[in-house]
Amino acid sequence: MKHASPSLSAYLDGELSSEERARFEAHLERCPDCRAERDRLKGALSLLSRLPPSPPPSPNFEQHFYARLAAERPAPRARLFDRPLWRWLAPGLAGVAASVALVLVVEIRHRPPPDDLLVGDLDLFENYEAVASVGVVENQEDVEVVAHLDELGVRK
Amino acid sequence: MASDPDAALMVAFKGGDERAFRSLFEKYGRTMVSFCNHFVRDRARAEELAQDIFLKLHRSAGSYEATARFRTFLYRIASNHCLNELRRAEYGSRRALEASEGGEPPAPTDPDTLPAGTSTPEQTVLASALGRAVEQLLEGLPEKQRLAFVMGRFEGLSYEEIAHALGTTVPAVKSLVHRATVSAAAALAPFMTTGEEVAP
Repeated sequence: MKHASPSLSAYLDGELSSEERARFEAHLERCPDCRAERDRLKGALSLLSRLPPSPPPSPNFEQHFYARLAAERPAPRARLFDRPLWRWLAPGLAGVAASVALVLVVEIRHRPPPDDLLVGDLDLFENYEAVASVGVVENQEDVEVVAHLDELGVRK
Repeated sequence: MASDPDAALMVAFKGGDERAFRSLFEKYGRTMVSFCNHFVRDRARAEELAQDIFLKLHRSAGSYEATARFRTFLYRIASNHCLNELRRAEYGSRRALEASEGGEPPAPTDPDTLPAGTSTPEQTVLASALGRAVEQLLEGLPEKQRLAFVMGRFEGLSYEEIAHALGTTVPAVKSLVHRATVSAAAALAPFMTTGEEVAP
């Protein structure tokens, strides 16, 4: 057996199998160089074990962590829109909403006053599903119906 | 994993139990600060890194497989994070500057005079010098050796656990730990008395 030094640390750490350990110890009996190296490494390990423990974290370590964790979490509304279903539905609903908006704008621009119609009915955009269920908006009366779906008890 | 209660907690957290995550943080948060401290030598920064590690753990719960020991999973995240930290150029340059301002090398010392509990002012000075020598040793080690050495010598991980954490083999860890230990013996030689021979 050549010098067994690559196994020396594993030997000191108790990481050799019983067979490897027996072989290694047989070598140590015959090899003063390896014995000297063993003692040198053992002395180093003894020193390392005497190092003082790491200082404890600051008293507000945990508090800081939970604050960071809370800051990282998305708001409930944002989390709703992170869900896979919404990721699929959102583009389609946005398209429907944009179409409805375009129809509304064209409709309103080609109408005579009253001009306060658009501002008053902006809240109809708040529920894309409700707007989409209406289909094409034909006239001002339709716009008003859409804007007040909730009052009419229409299921969204 | 029935034999690993921490893995069970991680699985519970993966299922939405935030209290399980909290238990893991309470158990390992301080350990991670200590681990990171071996890489940055700055307690405030070590605390930030430990928090980063747990934020990553929180985000990566979905990728956790119950077949993995929790501790090695955590140390894998921690190792990668500390390596990234070490690789930051600005950090390296700052450490080099501090090293150039270091004190004189320590005088030879009998290890038995080092503190083991209560300590005299003399012993405190010696322990401090030993601590600096170990810090310089760690800074001089190659990255993988440093990680393996810290996990094995200071964190108490087995070679197998280190291998899992580093994504390598047990024989590779054996080699990494041995080379680092030989370097440690050289670096700490001024603290050792000669002629000591103790059977393992």
